[in-house]
Amino acid sequence: MKHIKVLLLLLLAFTACKNHDNASHPKKMAVIVSTLNNPWFVFLAQTAAARAQKLGYETKIFDSQNNTALETDHFENAIASGYSAILFNPTDANGSVVNVLKAKKAGVPVFCMDREVNSANAATSQILSDSYSGCVALGKYFVQTMHKKGNYVEILGIVADNNTWNRSKGFHSLVDYYPGLKMVAQQSADFDRNKAMEVMESILQAHPDITGVFCGNDAMAMGAYQALVASGKAGNVKVFGFDGAADAIQAIKENKVTATAMQFPKVMAETAANYADEYFKGKRDFPKKIQVAAEMVNANDIDDYIAYGKKN
Amino acid sequence: MGKKLLKCAIIVVVSIFVVYNSIYFKKLDEVKASANKEFNATAYARNYLDKKLIPSIGTIPSTDSLLSILKQNAPNAFKTYSHAMDIGNIGYFMSKGQGVVTSIDESDVSILTPDKQNIKIATEYIFGNALRDAPGIININDFTNTGDLNSISSELDKIVRNEVVPPFKAKVKKGDKIEFAGAFELNKEHLNLDNIEVIPFYLKIQ
Repeated sequence: MKHIKVLLLLLLAFTACKNHDNASHPKKMAVIVSTLNNPWFVFLAQTAAARAQKLGYETKIFDSQNNTALETDHFENAIASGYSAILFNPTDANGSVVNVLKAKKAGVPVFCMDREVNSANAATSQILSDSYSGCVALGKYFVQTMHKKGNYVEILGIVADNNTWNRSKGFHSLVDYYPGLKMVAQQSADFDRNKAMEVMESILQAHPDITGVFCGNDAMAMGAYQALVASGKAGNVKVFGFDGAADAIQAIKENKVTATAMQFPKVMAETAANYADEYFKGKRDFPKKIQVAAEMVNANDIDDYIAYGKKN
Repeated sequence: MGKKLLKCAIIVVVSIFVVYNSIYFKKLDEVKASANKEFNATAYARNYLDKKLIPSIGTIPSTDSLLSILKQNAPNAFKTYSHAMDIGNIGYFMSKGQGVVTSIDESDVSILTPDKQNIKIATEYIFGNALRDAPGIININDFTNTGDLNSISSELDKIVRNEVVPPFKAKVKKGDKIEFAGAFELNKEHLNLDNIEVIPFYLKIQ
């Protein structure tokens, strides 16, 4: 009986300490992002962290370097270090599911930003860009500015990411109806500017007669443009990107890039942080998935836009 | 002895219960079929057009009345009459109407409505999500991945391009009076009511 009393007292003391510990430290949110080697994702991660801090949370940004193994390490570290929520930009639509499920099992809600994981129930909510619709609009402008004819190339993003294919499918859902437009090469450059430059240099050797290039993001569009400048063909080839990154917006103003699709990373990042905050306050009925519209931007309306979102 | 027997019996019953509820047998071909089950966007789009869009013609607002409301109070018109699966500036409106054909070009048939509004009926660029999203009846959360959702738009637009537009385009001429039903897109930040382009799902020359 005496032992039981001592045990109960110890348990009470432990619980009190634990409660005190929770009360004295604010909850923490981890921001795990696919890469920080692209200014667009830096903006996404920093905006999510800034919003979470404004809401009173400690934050830390983890860079997965487009590597799912490293992403797994970050999830394990975040869970072990007591992060209460993860604002997540996945590296791989299928490969990242296991990490989200691991966090879910540990009671840590995950809010996906910009990119989705292929699971309806793993993440608490997924806030995504409507890449497909943005690229349908880009495809229409591509057909109009190319006057329905010419050879072109497509530079894809990371092949394991759904956004890569949603963008490609949106573009081709329209462009493929025009037999005068012939895609002579389609290669991945992993959403990376330097890789896109190398890919474009190599394609130009085999296909010097192209008149258009559609890239899955602005970083690759800028890389492709660099390769075109180096080969002396920049004036003959129309370059299309996707994102609304600062250098692409400037390039549209200077007639170097023809068009891009403006995404709104601020909306996605802040919505994710707000949702996590609402989760801690007891809300549970989040939409499993919401999309943020992407808007086509060209030289005609470039003055209405600034990088990463519209002017207010 | 009796206690020991009872204990053994309970252990046996519990073990059988646990094992029975832990193991399931299924035919391998059934599991494979389930894993490979693909979303049939073509069938979904056909059903959506026949069972949802066509029957809605009687209840959707006319383009003339919608434009009048948009000119008076655009935010309210967006709130009441537009739908969008995305959050952002884009809204899609269902509408129907009639008008006299004023010109025909490669991409559109232009008409003048009874309220003297110039409207374009798209006959070439029938792409995107206007017809899928304007009625506001498809829920994004019913789909595991957005690719399936996008394929609905793709298949629906394909039906319109292949079945609705060609017989109309083959016969329509300047001066004809036509009826239409469809959807159009507006950007609430960049509101332009002078260039309305309707993506049709119903077209008739009177």
